Amino acid sequence: MQFFGGSDISPSPPAPTASGNNAHMMYMFNRNGVCLFYREWNRPLWTLNAQQDHKLMFGLLFSLKSLTAKMDPTSAEKGNLGVPQLPGQGCSFHSFRTNTYKLSFMESPSGIKIILVTHPRTGDLREALKYIYNLYVDYVAKNPVYVPGTPIKSDLFNTNLDQYVRSIS
Amino acid sequence: MGREVSESCVESLLIEMVSSYCNRFYADKQELAARRIEAIGYQVGHQLSERYTMERPRFSDHLEAIKFICKDFWSEIFKKQIDNLKTNHRGTFVLQDNHFRWLSRMSIESSPEMVVSSPDGEDKASQAMSMHLYFPCGIIRGALSNLGIPCAVSADISSLPACSFVIRIKA
Repeated sequence: MQFFGGSDISPSPPAPTASGNNAHMMYMFNRNGVCLFYREWNRPLWTLNAQQDHKLMFGLLFSLKSLTAKMDPTSAEKGNLGVPQLPGQGCSFHSFRTNTYKLSFMESPSGIKIILVTHPRTGDLREALKYIYNLYVDYVAKNPVYVPGTPIKSDLFNTNLDQYVRSIS
Repeated sequence: MGREVSESCVESLLIEMVSSYCNRFYADKQELAARRIEAIGYQVGHQLSERYTMERPRFSDHLEAIKFICKDFWSEIFKKQIDNLKTNHRGTFVLQDNHFRWLSRMSIESSPEMVVSSPDGEDKASQAMSMHLYFPCGIIRGALSNLGIPCAVSADISSLPACSFVIRIKA
């Protein structure tokens, strides 16, 4: 699947940064489409400004989930689309891969969506995304000064996330 | 005595208590909100100290009572003891906890933009953080008051997650 201006990007994937981080960037959205969190470790190319980029990402995910659920040849019932499901239930895509990156996705039952963009040879990141969701619960949901539904501003979350992402192979 | 409750439940309840008092009930009277929260802590501390001193003899002096707060009382509530106790031997005690359990997940973002844009922003953040310390201050005051030691307790966050409680015993 080619999405962003395929001809500009060279076919060989970019080398990881000197900091050794294995991921390019990460997004987190809530149920209403508010971008709670965006962090980049290695992103040489921006095609849109930040606002548009976030909206595009959210719209993309919404469409992809809808598409994959409708195309499911095995499911008899058409469930209620747009309602978050338990991880593993129903039919939801969890990643797609291009020649230059891999995008992994997870949605929690509370509607928190986590997107992680990494280099294309990354393995299955579903367990990693679950761990990141646990970091969110520990350092954001349980943070006394965090207001739910607002962008995440927590040093503890940032530090622990950076540390964990560095260890993903 | 053997029943337990989930720690997440208690912590969420405390967070909501502070939030309700500061943002809804006394939204423009932060001082009043602080005193209400401290008063709730007072009641809780009073009852907890009753419970945790059940089989003990009376304390011989103020220092023994404070040491009880630092060791047994703190262990029962926070699963650890106070890390450092200082006193001026004239009725003032400073209790330092290097990793206060209820502050362990508290965090703000210390980006350079925040410091430049407004000194106000930082004050609001630190005020929001210190609101969460009134409840434990009340607990200490209530506990000591039940042991016959009237006092005033204040707290101060030096650097997250460490904080110190200052007890001033009324002569």
